[in-house]
Amino acid sequence: MQTFSVHGIAASSGIAIGKVQLVSNALQEVEHYKIKKSGLDSEINRLSKAILIVKNDLSNIKKDIKKKSSDDFSSFIDIHLMMLEDKNFSFYPQEIIKLELCNAEWAIKTQLDLVISKFDAIDDLYIKERKLDVTQVAERLIKILLGHQNKKISKKNYRSTILVAHDISPADALQFKHHNYAAFITEHGGANSHTAILARGLSIPSLVAVKNARKLINNNDLVIVDGDSGLAIVNPNDQILKEYEYKQNLWEVQYKKLLKIKNVKSVTLNNQAISLMANIEDLDDIKTVLESRASGIGLFRTEFLFMNREDLPDEEEQFNTYKSIAKSMKGKPVVIRTLDSGADKTTAADTIKATNPALGLRAIRLCLSHPHLFLTQLKAILRASAFGNIKILIPMLSSLGELKQVKMLIKRAKDSLIYEGINFDADIQVGGMIEIPAVAINAEAFAKELDFLSVGTNDLIQYTLAIDRTDDSVSHLYNSVHPAVLKLISNTINAGKKYKKNVAICGEMAGDPRLTKLLIGMGLTNFSMHPASILPVKKKILESDSLKLKALASKLLKLNDSEKIETLIQKINQ
Amino acid sequence: MDEIILLISIIMIKTQITISNTLGLHARPSMKLAELCSKFNAEIYIKKDGKKINAKNMMDILMLASGYRSQIEILVDGDDEKIAVKEIKSLFSDRFGEES
Repeated sequence: MQTFSVHGIAASSGIAIGKVQLVSNALQEVEHYKIKKSGLDSEINRLSKAILIVKNDLSNIKKDIKKKSSDDFSSFIDIHLMMLEDKNFSFYPQEIIKLELCNAEWAIKTQLDLVISKFDAIDDLYIKERKLDVTQVAERLIKILLGHQNKKISKKNYRSTILVAHDISPADALQFKHHNYAAFITEHGGANSHTAILARGLSIPSLVAVKNARKLINNNDLVIVDGDSGLAIVNPNDQILKEYEYKQNLWEVQYKKLLKIKNVKSVTLNNQAISLMANIEDLDDIKTVLESRASGIGLFRTEFLFMNREDLPDEEEQFNTYKSIAKSMKGKPVVIRTLDSGADKTTAADTIKATNPALGLRAIRLCLSHPHLFLTQLKAILRASAFGNIKILIPMLSSLGELKQVKMLIKRAKDSLIYEGINFDADIQVGGMIEIPAVAINAEAFAKELDFLSVGTNDLIQYTLAIDRTDDSVSHLYNSVHPAVLKLISNTINAGKKYKKNVAICGEMAGDPRLTKLLIGMGLTNFSMHPASILPVKKKILESDSLKLKALASKLLKLNDSEKIETLIQKINQ
Repeated sequence: MDEIILLISIIMIKTQITISNTLGLHARPSMKLAELCSKFNAEIYIKKDGKKINAKNMMDILMLASGYRSQIEILVDGDDEKIAVKEIKSLFSDRFGEES
């Protein structure tokens, strides 16, 4: 087999060697072809077999889920099973094959399009969105018919499996987290897309924006992924393979060295304590948090509780999750961010498709327009606050008016708990995410009104530079050390100092060891990141002298030339 | 002919229901309703806005798009119609076990 390489954006470092599993967007690949009358029976047979296989697959997934989580989630599979038995899949496609003498894939797609057009005519937004379930069922069937994925990879082999996909959505990511893939390659995305963040979180190498990856790379190809140089080598010869196996070992040795500082206190050379907290998405992450020796949870992204399901978690379910997290952190701070739904992370609460979702009804805007949804979450958080050190973090604030409304609703949630006679932390701290430039510019006003601030650099950069971080055609313009971005961050840190309020960074910048020293120089003492980044960042902290760095950072903040900024960052890191 | 229609209307149970769960008859309630109805020998139909569908079919129920507070009519006809109507009514009044 011929050796060749493909290139993309290096999104997560490390080296992986493994076999490819292609994930396809099956619906886009369906072609139409005519079948002969004599082949009619076998085509219908092929369809019936596919339906049977999907039924089996779904039943197996259901058994799997039942073992791990609540009954609630498996009814989601039941719905798909029932849809599969419905005449829209079990009868009409057969009739279409008979009538049009077309292939089974095409018959399903034709029927799906018809069903979707009926759903589109429905006014009720929530019910309208159920067309997603029908689409997923059709997609599963078509994948089987096209011969994808019938070679199932057993869970044991995932460690040496490299996933090649068009893109990984946050919903997929939640599932892939437990699969132990060796690396990701996607055609779409930038260095800060979800695939990249997921891969860094899992400490596996990853390439994004690899054009036509799914056309160039075949299922089961042997591939080396070099996450540092943004390169993947397909069907490597023995010599290359040996060279990379050596590099992989070297990388692992360095990683083991890092483990030695695991229990070392996070202080700079001049004895300035730096708090290293962890970002989490669900209860399962707690294990890695405790393992990483984080000093608390700086960001719990609650929207992941709301994703991959068609209903909304009720107060009791949310309370139980928050309570478990608070309890397992044993008094260490747990910052719970209220629902940050919308844009690229959609849940059942998002009923409207905005033309520009990043600027649309998302996060706190969505919550304020659905006060019941928000109150349910606030009550659940408040109830859990009786069991640990919980703080509330509000995402996407853009004005003091919104903050006022938020505070009113928090008060209402507290009042109703007092009325119900339920315990909670009456002095619970309320902080705000600084991710809209308007707020970073006006940070003092917010520092005055809030108990703490947390800079969400991913969105702050996206909004400041007007760059969609999921769009690979502009991802080269995404620059976390753009002078304007640094000035906004610095302004926020200084506002916090003035009003004696804690300022943390919880975006990707906090977990980038290349920027640790610069941020310390800018006066940052609270970092919150994915648990996997804590050790590399701590290593930088142990080498830092915050007084010396302060002088270098203030020099850097005066620069406007990106090249000079890069040079100075290199110098700071020497 | 008139007598037959009269006869049907006598033996068939008709009942009006207002949807009271906030998300309406979305996927899960549709499934629960279809599952329940399939248990009975009786023929069960739902009428809404002039459309009439078989209540043993989940997709048909879902695509009826019965949102919060919409009115539907349930038609039940068969030997076990009384118990069927009773259980269907209680499923609706329990809001499909989704809300308290």
